[in-house]
Amino acid sequence: MAHRKARERDMLDSVYSMLALVFILVACVELCDAATVVDVYRLIQYDISGVPFGSRLASLNHHAGSLHFSPGADLSRTVVMIPVRELNISFVTEYVSRKHPLGGMLFLLPEIFRLENGGGGKDVREKEVVKNVLLELEKLLVHAKLPYPVYFAFENDEIDAVLDDVKKNDATGQPATATTGGYKLVIPIAEPKKVASPTITNIQGWLQGLKADGDANQLPTIAIVASYDTFGAAPALSVGSDSNGSGVVALLEVARLFSLLYSNPKTRGRYNILFGLTSGGPYNYNGTHKWLRSFDQRLRESIDYAICLNSVGSWNNELWIHVSKPPENAYIKQIFEGFTNVAEELGFKVGLKHKKINISNPRVAWEHEQFSRLRVTAATLSELSAAPELLESTGGLLDSRHFVDETSFIRSVQLVAESLARHIYGYQGKNIQIFADNSSLAVNPSYIRSWLDLLSQTPRVAPFISKNDPFIMALKKELADHTDEVIMQHEVLDGMFTFYDSTKASLNIYQVASVTFDLLLLLVLGSYLIVLFSFLVITTRGLDDLISLFRRPPSRKVKTA
Amino acid sequence: MTVFHFFNCAILTFGPHAVYYSATPLSEYDTLGTSVKAALVYLGTALVKLVCLATFLKVSETDNFDPYQELLKALIGFIDVAGLYFALTQLTHRNISQNHKFQAVGLGGLVKTLNLKLQSHYLTSFSMLAGWAFADSVLHRLAPLWVGARGLEFTWDYLLQGLEANANLVLSISLAALGSLMWLRKNKPKTLIPIIYACAGIVATMPSITSYLRRGLGWQFPKVVGFELFTSLVMAFISWQLFSACQRPSA
Repeated sequence: MAHRKARERDMLDSVYSMLALVFILVACVELCDAATVVDVYRLIQYDISGVPFGSRLASLNHHAGSLHFSPGADLSRTVVMIPVRELNISFVTEYVSRKHPLGGMLFLLPEIFRLENGGGGKDVREKEVVKNVLLELEKLLVHAKLPYPVYFAFENDEIDAVLDDVKKNDATGQPATATTGGYKLVIPIAEPKKVASPTITNIQGWLQGLKADGDANQLPTIAIVASYDTFGAAPALSVGSDSNGSGVVALLEVARLFSLLYSNPKTRGRYNILFGLTSGGPYNYNGTHKWLRSFDQRLRESIDYAICLNSVGSWNNELWIHVSKPPENAYIKQIFEGFTNVAEELGFKVGLKHKKINISNPRVAWEHEQFSRLRVTAATLSELSAAPELLESTGGLLDSRHFVDETSFIRSVQLVAESLARHIYGYQGKNIQIFADNSSLAVNPSYIRSWLDLLSQTPRVAPFISKNDPFIMALKKELADHTDEVIMQHEVLDGMFTFYDSTKASLNIYQVASVTFDLLLLLVLGSYLIVLFSFLVITTRGLDDLISLFRRPPSRKVKTA
Repeated sequence: MTVFHFFNCAILTFGPHAVYYSATPLSEYDTLGTSVKAALVYLGTALVKLVCLATFLKVSETDNFDPYQELLKALIGFIDVAGLYFALTQLTHRNISQNHKFQAVGLGGLVKTLNLKLQSHYLTSFSMLAGWAFADSVLHRLAPLWVGARGLEFTWDYLLQGLEANANLVLSISLAALGSLMWLRKNKPKTLIPIIYACAGIVATMPSITSYLRRGLGWQFPKVVGFELFTSLVMAFISWQLFSACQRPSA
């Protein structure tokens, strides 16, 4: 008897240690078998001089809810799934301004905004409705501080099914919490960290003009500049096809046309042409500022004038030239007349807008203002009639491929190329078309289209592009093909802006049962096992044995007494 | 939620074995050794089955019911039966006398005969059966449960698997009872012999029947589990009746 008890004790000990090991293993729960996994893109998180903006959290682990919740419900542990199509902007405004506690927000964008879907003409009507909502939403989100995670996702069948289910559950009046089951949205991602020393890269290309023999002076230079980076609510989706992808493509096409002209010494003009692709555009044209400071005095003085391109891809019948020098200035008049003449021939209008620079104000609304601050004559050609505010019109959620209208864009390219060429070759006022259609110097639509397509699939928010990003290398190679000399300049973005990483993640959607379900199940199983136990005991040992199981303690007492 | 669910499914799957072990007179006679030996025999037969399956079956791309493959699988399933026979006849509880060894039988003893304190007869088969069924359950179901039931996602699959495990337990009890009737009982009434063999045949080929239902007829998992539960109860009842019928002459 004693031997058996000792052996039993040993066995029990080993069993306990095994159980302990099992519990330790069990503690690491796997999360990899979700019903649905979706790519999501996080709202931007940044600081301006220490003031925080955007969504401050990245990881998510809450239940899903929809907009049909009962008023007054506690949403601090719920992620609200909002399809942008049905969005009532006042709801978001209220929630953001009153700082209601919320587990998170997930905005569902219509499929047509996907990066891979270029130009879908059939859903234009739908886009119009969504356009205004998205514009307002983006402006609101970018300038607000949200202490919870905010993500964007594209609608697809699975998410739509989940949303329908969630709406049905919410309609019954029960918010989804741990005790009532439903869907759980999990994004397992580390806390977002600051991007240390975000780099901005300026690429410049130089086309040498024809120096006559015996000409000791430096040739005058004309500069064409466009900034290529973007900023938007979802940095992984900010492709900025119009702002400023159109500017970049226009610059590349003009470079290609002039390289054709300049390759032959007989047609080489007596001006140098400087092409500049700058970064840091949304941040008060920080890159342009650093680029200009890197010039030496002689080069700066030799610049006759600079044309900056900003959003020239989606206009109807009027472009604007923005200047900071007063319109009575002789140079400005000359430039403007040149552009107007060409525009008239092409069939549209060009207007002139003057905006004075305030040196003490750090806000730089147009790129030409950076030139003007260093006393270089410059103007910006744009479809925008008014100066954009800080972080506005910098390529947001709405600015995708189908936003650019190819016909008007080709006309802008023709305008720029033709005006520059007439100035360089001295044909102002004369009706000579250098880049005529159907000539070998015509603007090439397939070149434009392929570069626009590439730009529409590349998000280009500057702090998230490294120095050796393949896109920057592609731009450098393309400029090198068309110009004589390409120089890259790497700088660090000004300290006023701080950015945080984690722009893209995978969302796991789990269907979970509630805790009450588990408890109920435990109860059922317990009673089943007890019933089974008593059944077996009764049939094998008889009812007396079963009753004696419960009466053992008293009988022992009787024995000892 | 996840660990809780795993715990629930584990109880459902392995609980009945533990209950079976503790409720019947097994625990008083230290039959753990015999159970472990039976589990090892099961492991052996499983390995032999694996080797045969790997050698003779080809992997089918589609999910259709291929009669020849299923026939092969059923034949290999008979190795199961052979293993059970081996265990029943070879492994005995040491303390039972020679004559009791041949009277040891399976579950059929759920009758008043057990109240006649002939418990030692059944120790061998009970304990061996417990070991066999437990090993079967663990090898087949623990790994899927561990990997699957701990995830956040909730599906009914694991609970259904647990119910299937219960049905399998009852089925193997009936199989053991019928097996003992076939080989250990020397004096059987003549009329019942074909029924015994028929029932044993049905129970032994249960796996192929269920896979035919799942693939050939395309039944959903809950339906298949329901069918298994139903047939296991029916089989248990039939073997109980047969057992008591065979008991009567000797009692």
